[in-house]
Amino acid sequence: MANDEQYNQETQDSKLMIDHDYDGIKELDNPPPPWLMYIFYASIVWSVFYVFYYHVYDGPSQIDEYNTEMAEAEADRPVNNFDEENIVLLTDDAAMAEGVKLYASKACDACHGASNIGADLTDNFWINGGDVASVFKIIKYGKAEKGMTPFQSQLTDEQINQIASYILIKLKGAPTTNTKGPEGEEI
Amino acid sequence: MEQQTFYYDNKIVRLFGGVTILWGVVGVLVGLLIALQLAFPAMNFNLPWLTFGRLRPLHTNAIIFAFVGNGIFTAAYYSMQRLLKTRMYSDLLGRIHFWGWQLIIVAAAITLPLGYTQGKEYAELSWPIDIAVALIWVVFGWNMLGTLAIRRVRHIYVAIWFYISTFITIAVLWIVNNLAIPTGWFESYSIYAGIQDALVQWWYGHNAVAFFLTTPMLGLMYYFLPKAANRPVYSYKLSIIHFWALIFLYIWAGPHHLLYQALPAWAQSMGVVFSVMLLMPSWGGMVNGLLTLRGAWDRVRDSAVLKFYVVGVTAYGMSTFEGPLLSLKSVNAISHFTDWTIAHVHIGAMGWNGFMIFGMIYWLWPRLFNTKMYSEKMANGHFWIGTLGMIIYAVPLYWAAITQALMWKEFTPEGFLAYPNFMETVTQILPMYYLRSFGGLLYLIGFLMFAFNTIMTARSGKLIAEEEASAPALEPMKKSRESGETPHRWVERRWVPFTIWAFIAIAIGSIIELVPGFMVKSNVPTIESVQPYTPLELAGRDIYVREGCYTCHSQQVRPFRSETERYGEYSKAGEFVYDHPYQWGSRRMGPDLAREGVVGGPMYKSNTWHYNHFLRPQDVIAESVMPAYPWFISDQIDLEAIPVKIRAMQTLGVPYAEGFDLIAVENLLKQGQSIADDLKSNGIEVEKDREILAVIAYMQRLGVDITKSHK
Repeated sequence: MANDEQYNQETQDSKLMIDHDYDGIKELDNPPPPWLMYIFYASIVWSVFYVFYYHVYDGPSQIDEYNTEMAEAEADRPVNNFDEENIVLLTDDAAMAEGVKLYASKACDACHGASNIGADLTDNFWINGGDVASVFKIIKYGKAEKGMTPFQSQLTDEQINQIASYILIKLKGAPTTNTKGPEGEEI
Repeated sequence: MEQQTFYYDNKIVRLFGGVTILWGVVGVLVGLLIALQLAFPAMNFNLPWLTFGRLRPLHTNAIIFAFVGNGIFTAAYYSMQRLLKTRMYSDLLGRIHFWGWQLIIVAAAITLPLGYTQGKEYAELSWPIDIAVALIWVVFGWNMLGTLAIRRVRHIYVAIWFYISTFITIAVLWIVNNLAIPTGWFESYSIYAGIQDALVQWWYGHNAVAFFLTTPMLGLMYYFLPKAANRPVYSYKLSIIHFWALIFLYIWAGPHHLLYQALPAWAQSMGVVFSVMLLMPSWGGMVNGLLTLRGAWDRVRDSAVLKFYVVGVTAYGMSTFEGPLLSLKSVNAISHFTDWTIAHVHIGAMGWNGFMIFGMIYWLWPRLFNTKMYSEKMANGHFWIGTLGMIIYAVPLYWAAITQALMWKEFTPEGFLAYPNFMETVTQILPMYYLRSFGGLLYLIGFLMFAFNTIMTARSGKLIAEEEASAPALEPMKKSRESGETPHRWVERRWVPFTIWAFIAIAIGSIIELVPGFMVKSNVPTIESVQPYTPLELAGRDIYVREGCYTCHSQQVRPFRSETERYGEYSKAGEFVYDHPYQWGSRRMGPDLAREGVVGGPMYKSNTWHYNHFLRPQDVIAESVMPAYPWFISDQIDLEAIPVKIRAMQTLGVPYAEGFDLIAVENLLKQGQSIADDLKSNGIEVEKDREILAVIAYMQRLGVDITKSHK
């Protein structure tokens, strides 16, 4: 075959290393491909620069990077005009529709349902107050020792208002799967 | 020169080759099962010994030490005899090596599902098995170096350079990383804690990849590829350069597994730059392999063996390109804790390790059994189905990795996490898990075709147990360098200096990276409020380790807004000083648990939540893929072991008060009672000595200490 002829010619010249024979395996005297060596040298030079930049010239540490990222996020945060002191119970259909959607998407039922982890939200007994402002605050700021998640880092105040209203208007009085029995004061 | 006649021992080659196939099938089968478990949690069957956390270490250990391990022994025992023109140094050592190694594998296959583990990746095997591995490894090395001493070939060929570096480096890595204080027949605590343990572990873990999955495979390639292609090795000079550069640079690169974590910046930088410098020395092996095929490409079309080598070597080139890429901090910030790592290692394991071993055995078996391959067509079929399986395995995982990483990091315009519910980011990628399981199934089918084909080949012929060969005796030669002899050629004919030089090459990076971690205090800034675990929390931590929770949950919050928003304050080096072993993990199938216990933090859950969740995760999180742990509620905490564990911790420098071991059980039951009381107030009755209480206590302790001011 043509390939073999070409190969034989190639191996007959000085490129075959004469005293290299290992169980019939021979070795050629080719230099390493130049591109490979150049990239290797370049990677060494890059490494020296990298170490100098971060450890001699004090490039940003990962904590510096983090602080920058947090400062930028803080600067970008939208202004909040929600009036937390005067929370109104929402009753319109749009709010109820949003409320039920958010209640499901945040998996509230995982704790406030059959698992008995959180309080029953369907009866008339309220541990932390049964008015819309109290429910709003519990959702927003959580109740750490009971494991209630503070949702202020996940939901806007408007959304929290919608969930709180949904709970008080639609959920209260609905059939329950929670079997803990009454807790807190009857309101 | 007197011509001597001697016999190659082919029996030992057949033994190692045979179990390579057997354990390979087992390893891939377990891999398929755990892939299915991630997609369908019911596949955990509610049985302790069949849960993902226990089987995943079985899969990784089986592939690395049983499949690839026996594969490289097959290669070494066949090629060394021929390259050195001698029988192996000792038949007896060979048999001890073989049977010892298989016993180790059986012991691993029993103990890992039983939950006996050290809790460090690829170093899970418990301490008695570790000792056995070290002893058998020395037997292997003894036999190898003995063979070098009685050789009839003056110069040592490049394949054997790689075998030598494998032997010495694995011995060092294995012993140093597995140092531990036993607390039972199979239980122990790593002598290292926190960031030191992490550093030692990834120095080991990364170099297990280097010196168990790479260097011996290169040795295999340098013998079997030119043999099968019947072509000379492309460049002897390249062999020299890439061998020394590879073993010297590789040993430093371990910290790239810990980027952006609570590791000193200098160590992270070492991990980055040495990984980048490693690219071309790694590619040196690929280039030398592929260019050796020059003039043989026309035969690749017909030969299954050569096809396996081409794809195997190419897969090596791909994963060694990807390695440095993943070691760049900006890429690692995205890839780490996702399936990218899993896809990456499978290109290496399926493509490079698997295909090189398949090629070797397809070539070897007809020669050992003096026959033709049973079916060349079936071997070609195996090649195509294996390649397809690998692609269908890996591509969906890359997709899953990038999808999940982007979901973790996305924020809404209001400044909230777009996917605060971790579960959403898992549900999203489950279709990719179905596909990856299918890819794994294809690979397994190919593997079974391989097993069948090799068994039939062996049956159609007869083993040439003793293969006659002859060579002239080696004339004595003076030790000093001859005129005209290059320094490297000189050291190639002297195996003792060669071995010493190789040892020095791997010792430099090891010492520079590990020793400051132990000696220089500023590397681990202490935090005064960080206190040792209570006995109940410690018992819970041991259960956490036993169940392999670290295979799905990390304990390391990186300093990114997306992580501190989701999990809480980023992790600090000083928080882990009592963690023997560290449990930072490497993949987040579930959320990070580093701040699980911080009351008021985003991760905190009540005792009741944890109880329900461990009993049946899907009752709490409907789409959860976590296995259920009902035995936490029925099983009692091993109280007898508690004083022993406390004393072991004291030996390791954990500051429990003198005599604390005597009151530890009392302390444990008291804390257990308080959690049981809290559960009772929520309508759950549980006895005060149950495992569930220990695990809950540990969960509630995680990440808490830095939130407290010093007492």
